[in-house]
Amino acid sequence: MQTYHKNINADFICKHCGCFVSSLTLVSGVVNRNHCPYCLHSRHVDLYDPGDRLGACKALMAPVGLTLKRSRDKYAPDNHGELMLVHRCITCGELSINRIAADDDPEILLAILKNSTKDRSAILNECRIKGIRLLEEKSHRYLVQSQLFGRSADLWVEAAML
Amino acid sequence: MQTQNTDTHFTGIVYKKMLGHYDVQHNNKITNCSLSAKLWKDFSTTELSDNPGRRVTHVSEKHMDPIAIGDYVQFIKTDDGSGMIMDLFPRKNYIARSSAKPMPGAHTFEQVIAANIDQVIPVFAAADPEPKWHMLDRYLVAAESYGIPSRIVITKFDLVQGTPAEGKLKTWIALYQSIGYPVIVTSSKTSQGLDHLRQTLADQHSVLVGKSGVGKTSLLNALEPGFGLRVQTVNQSTGKGRHTTSHLEMFPLQGGGALIDTPGVREFGVYGLESMDIAVFFPEIAPVLGQCKFGLSCQHDEEPGCAVRQGVMDGRISPYRYQSYLRLKDDL
Repeated sequence: MQTYHKNINADFICKHCGCFVSSLTLVSGVVNRNHCPYCLHSRHVDLYDPGDRLGACKALMAPVGLTLKRSRDKYAPDNHGELMLVHRCITCGELSINRIAADDDPEILLAILKNSTKDRSAILNECRIKGIRLLEEKSHRYLVQSQLFGRSADLWVEAAML
Repeated sequence: MQTQNTDTHFTGIVYKKMLGHYDVQHNNKITNCSLSAKLWKDFSTTELSDNPGRRVTHVSEKHMDPIAIGDYVQFIKTDDGSGMIMDLFPRKNYIARSSAKPMPGAHTFEQVIAANIDQVIPVFAAADPEPKWHMLDRYLVAAESYGIPSRIVITKFDLVQGTPAEGKLKTWIALYQSIGYPVIVTSSKTSQGLDHLRQTLADQHSVLVGKSGVGKTSLLNALEPGFGLRVQTVNQSTGKGRHTTSHLEMFPLQGGGALIDTPGVREFGVYGLESMDIAVFFPEIAPVLGQCKFGLSCQHDEEPGCAVRQGVMDGRISPYRYQSYLRLKDDL
């Protein structure tokens, strides 16, 4: 299916926080920048496949939680896979999973993890229907920290506690 | 339209044009004509140049080539058997494209493809080369803007028959049929759909448009085997056509009417339309225009309360057609 890829990798100004966002791969570490690194909000512009830009909704997508990308290896251990950000369209409620970029604000990511399962049974249900397993702060905090900060996660936690 | 013949002046229809020479058909005879100096002057503008005492004559942009295939012209016969076109009759309609830009920033002008036509036939191959549906939308918008009905023809159906690509193709066909465009599926090899196409073309002046290699000339050869027009296979390395047909020509059909074969084009720019007007020429978008929150000022892109975007989300408008609309609007 042909799709309209014009301006797919253009710099943009975030509709949510108004910050200028560069799409340079050198900055973000990802080829396709799809959310603001400062507030982690995205836009509902894809319909069938990532990057197809066929969506007509074009509303903001708020970050609602974190999940892990399903591994193709069926023998892979639990909690294995790349950390992903779950977005939900504020207008139509569509859910999408996006890669985390290198310059995404880690504190906001941890805040999302903290709030993702609080009083949000509706979103949890929607995620369950779509087969998305949201990470919980209680059981996955260390996992998220180690994904974000690598082996220095423990040091980071200690520094944060000081 | 005044088409009476006199003893010296004849009325004919332009069937072919090449490098300033036109083949004009009159009483089933073809006369090779050139353009009279007077008519050429009528379509030209003369102005003073910066150099005093020198005049510069240039052809008005609107009439880079004042005569198009399908035009009714009045001509006289010269002693050597050729003719000279003296007058051009007003056109019932025409279809044109935007000329290619010779360099970035250069302006384009209108290139008339054919005149006095009854229907436009956008031709697309089921495979080899892969159909570009966005380009089809461009042809359809161009035809709509000139008020000419379109009938889509899919060629080389034998290449996808029984393959997974057939299902995908049928989805696209159903989409265009649901909008109201008739689609005829053909194959020059198996003769599928040719009888249906012959009925559609009978007593009509039709123009075939499409990119190089889709099988426009092969279709013409299959419809009228006597023509024996030159065709080539698609380049296997690039998957693109070889631009075998390099001039415009009209061919009379046995069942009445005529078919205009055109060279394939890689790009098809729609000429003379404002970006605000484009939506009117999408038949499924047109009914909801004016229902947006910002009325007719809505760009149908990011505006809140847009009825067109709502139509896409409701499934009344195809997202692919909406994307074509946005893309076409951006290009203007």
